[in-house]
Amino acid sequence: MNPLPPLARSVHTAYAKNALVRLPGSLGNVDASRMAIVFYCIGTLDLLGVLQDQTTEMERLSWRNWIWEQYAAGRYGTGFKPGPFMSTNSGHDTPHIIMTYTALLSLSMLRDDFSRLNRQGLLRFVASCQNSNGSFSNTPNGGGDSDLRNLYSAFSICSLLGDWSSIDVESAIAFVASCRTYEGGYGQLPSCEAQGGTTYLAIAALHLAPPGPRPRLSTAERARSEHWLVHSQDASGGFRGRTGKAPDACYCFWGGAALQILSAHDKINAYAFTEFIAACQFPYGGLAKAPGQPSDPHHTYLSLAAAAMYAPRLDMSARGYGQWDFAPFNPLLNAREDTIRWARSHIPARRF
Amino acid sequence: MIPVPAPVLYAARDEWKDVVPITQYEKANPLAPILYSEEYKDATDYLRGIVQAGEKSERVLQLTEHVIRLNPAHYSAWQYRYETLLALESSLEAEVALMDELADKYLKTYQVWHHRRLLLIRAGLPGAPAELAFIAKILRQDEKNYHTWAHRQWVLAFYNDDGLWAGELDFVDTMMNKDVRNNSVWHHRFFVVFQAGVRQGEEDRERIVRREIIYVKQNISLAPNNASAWNYLRGVLEFNKLPLSTVGPFIRPYTVSLPDPVDDGIDLENPGPGRGAELPCAAAVEFLADVYEEEGKASVSKAVELWKSLAEEHDTMRKKYWEYRIQQALVRA
Repeated sequence: MNPLPPLARSVHTAYAKNALVRLPGSLGNVDASRMAIVFYCIGTLDLLGVLQDQTTEMERLSWRNWIWEQYAAGRYGTGFKPGPFMSTNSGHDTPHIIMTYTALLSLSMLRDDFSRLNRQGLLRFVASCQNSNGSFSNTPNGGGDSDLRNLYSAFSICSLLGDWSSIDVESAIAFVASCRTYEGGYGQLPSCEAQGGTTYLAIAALHLAPPGPRPRLSTAERARSEHWLVHSQDASGGFRGRTGKAPDACYCFWGGAALQILSAHDKINAYAFTEFIAACQFPYGGLAKAPGQPSDPHHTYLSLAAAAMYAPRLDMSARGYGQWDFAPFNPLLNAREDTIRWARSHIPARRF
Repeated sequence: MIPVPAPVLYAARDEWKDVVPITQYEKANPLAPILYSEEYKDATDYLRGIVQAGEKSERVLQLTEHVIRLNPAHYSAWQYRYETLLALESSLEAEVALMDELADKYLKTYQVWHHRRLLLIRAGLPGAPAELAFIAKILRQDEKNYHTWAHRQWVLAFYNDDGLWAGELDFVDTMMNKDVRNNSVWHHRFFVVFQAGVRQGEEDRERIVRREIIYVKQNISLAPNNASAWNYLRGVLEFNKLPLSTVGPFIRPYTVSLPDPVDDGIDLENPGPGRGAELPCAAAVEFLADVYEEEGKASVSKAVELWKSLAEEHDTMRKKYWEYRIQQALVRA
């Protein structure tokens, strides 16, 4: 196998560090999801293996402090806000469930000791986001959308806490099942078209959940999902998000991670997959959704995470003798294994 | 070009003098700070001020609209706007009209559609036919937009009104005629025919299943390499618990390079590939292999041969997947 094009590690490192210092005004629409951008940027440094040695202890401390500044408590429990964009005391600046999930992972990457975390409050917050049909909303009491993104975040938080007692797991699982389509993927809401991102969220949620009365997926369902996912790989090696659409690097992550969770990762062409990601590198740093497009923090992190799962499976020569090496990655919770180990040993309540 | 004048900041307007603006509070080391424009900073300072004071008035509608136009993903501005609309008992028609413009502009923003849904829930059924017409208009510009299709499915399922459903299959046909490869349309068809759209008086499922199978066969005949159509065909058979072999005779001509010439005119039950079709069609080869696998026993070796041809010739990107299928079949045999 020919060596892959080089992975421009130092340029991507600089890109992520710059974004943490300043985002351009053109990214103003992430004001209400800044915590996710923070996660993508810190995550990029974590995946590239430079978080501990190419940032200072002072930087990491100040980043942790900023994240904790977004931690809020109220009658709905405790969680993280996307950022200070509302900074009022009006009940309109509640925590956000997706941002809470990304904050917990970012803090784990930064090796926070979670001594400031109120576990009971967090459990209460997650519970306050659950709706009567089993789904979860962005914010407490039915606020905002209620698609699978929130449900996955809720399940991740419960899994990290090691405590599922505050939510109704079985009704949530029934909601996930109602998002399944005849193609074998999952839509964002019941009766929506199968999509790579939401299929990852659904499959990951089913695997995060504690065991139930029946297997979460039947053999036939598993085979159909596998079939749909494997067929998402386009002639370019990249994954498309929906049948018939163009490939996009973020779907390399969503589809690739879903296949990892199903232990079906050996059934795709990992070389063409990584080659597509290599071609998505933007010359001035970061990765883009497709070759020739401008980069953004979201696609940078997800492409590298996709590469982290598949590049290590290639021959040494294809990997450019270490260029495309990554530390083991956890596809269920979406971070490096050692970061997840840290999370699992520091986030749950201490038992006395 | 005539320069667009900078908007007058709220801070400089007399009619906003009574509001105490609240600047965004960040400590010394903000993480991933956004370089806000003066206009955005000013508008959100006043939004925070208004929200803190709990004011719900006409000018709040102007202010939230302004913030939303600058950042349509500002979910708090949307939320507060909705609460203000309710408090003022404002005209929902006017709001929907504004939303028609914003949905068009910010097609890919979750909040635009969420707000619309809240309005529709309050407006009730009278607004529904106009809503379907609006969605159709938006879909003409972006035929695969996920949010727009999701919204259409929500509208249909939420009102669940026979009158609304009545024109839906025609709508599917119109969209399909524009692009037979639009998977969103195929998915929507499944939703209409087999899921939420099933109406009373359609108890004769056998007739409907037959109609759908003919429909998809005709589509495949016109454009054989269309993954959406093949997925739909599988979906229809599986959902109705029919064996894959139901369509065995139809598939065969698509699995070879040169199909046998049709001698006795056109077979309506099994329309063959048109002239110039790129054959064999990988999806058909795969389908036929599954038919053989389903038959089991002696047929499995025929399935293995087809999978080999996919791995080595017709679908090499999925070589490993086909090799896995071969191995699985041999283990079971």
